[in-house]
Amino acid sequence: MLMQMVIIRITNNSTGNVVFLRTASIVIALGSASAHAANEPEFALTLRDHRFAPAEIRVPANVKVRLVVDNQDPTPEEFDSHALNREKVIPGKSKATIYIGPLAPGRYPFMGEFNAATAQGAVVAQ
Amino acid sequence: MTPAMIQRGGRLTRRLAILVAVHSLVLLAPVAYADPDDYVAVPGVEYGEREIELRLGTASATDEHRQSAASLAFGYGVTPWWATEIYGKWHRSDATSFDAFEWENRFQLTEPGQYFADFGLLVEIERPRDRAEGYELRLGPLMQKDFGPVQANFNVLLERHYRASEPEETELGYQWQLRYRWRPGFDFGAQGFGDVGPWDDWDPTRDQPHVAGPAIFGRFNLGGRQVLKYDAAVLFKLTNAAPSTTLRAQLEYEF
Repeated sequence: MLMQMVIIRITNNSTGNVVFLRTASIVIALGSASAHAANEPEFALTLRDHRFAPAEIRVPANVKVRLVVDNQDPTPEEFDSHALNREKVIPGKSKATIYIGPLAPGRYPFMGEFNAATAQGAVVAQ
Repeated sequence: MTPAMIQRGGRLTRRLAILVAVHSLVLLAPVAYADPDDYVAVPGVEYGEREIELRLGTASATDEHRQSAASLAFGYGVTPWWATEIYGKWHRSDATSFDAFEWENRFQLTEPGQYFADFGLLVEIERPRDRAEGYELRLGPLMQKDFGPVQANFNVLLERHYRASEPEETELGYQWQLRYRWRPGFDFGAQGFGDVGPWDDWDPTRDQPHVAGPAIFGRFNLGGRQVLKYDAAVLFKLTNAAPSTTLRAQLEYEF
């Protein structure tokens, strides 16, 4: 409703704002896109004592999947993977969802950037 | 504030931020020619990350003087969906001078990888040292899509001055990049920047500055939260309105 009110307000401005209206519409539509959740297969990953479990997680190739990472440590960790093009900070004692794929068959390493000496793992797409 | 509270409040606040930004641009009186040290903004935000950023750029002369620019910034990932950065900007033409303060805000609108592309919003407010230039507002959507190991970005940005001594048009610009993710320390690809002139009355193509060229990227983990990132490009003119060659580089220290 708030969005509709503001759009009406914008529409009532001078005629030279058509492009802005289009921009606004596109951006707002993008912001609303979260209403359309997909049903990707979900895989759980746990982080405890700065180690991922399982350290190697198998996912289907050529399918988008969700990794739900449960950081059971009291400190934040950053899920980081150059191969997967993902960087996400997960606060301590909380979960985060990371969307990956569709992946070609192969091994995709990831790590916990804040504790890289121990927090190492890989997604294996097959 | 707990992560759950941040997530719950995030969606509404993001939309409000978008609406306020778009509405401001509509209401304000009306420039755009990318600085030589401009960079390609990405939609992703890293929560809790602090960074010090240095940007440098130099462009061969289109009239009398080579144009060079440098920016020094401090940034912070305030929430999982909002990163903010304060810049000090310097410019050199015939002499070096402080140019402006800038407040940049990036809003991550979608979770990376969740939809067919990732989306964000850039909102920048600049206060030039020359008060006659008033304030500058730059705003637009940030888009990113992965094609296997290739990351593609495309941003469309509207820019206008307000409270300036001379009325100026709202101008439309863009920036893009392709990045092949080869090694963490060395990715390569291409970047491009350009402006088409007033958003509602584009300049003739010969008057529009468009540049593009090869780019390199990389990151090095220095231990713990410390990361060093770089990206640099050599940009060549695609139209006569653009400098023949632009060199640009960006160095970020995250901690």
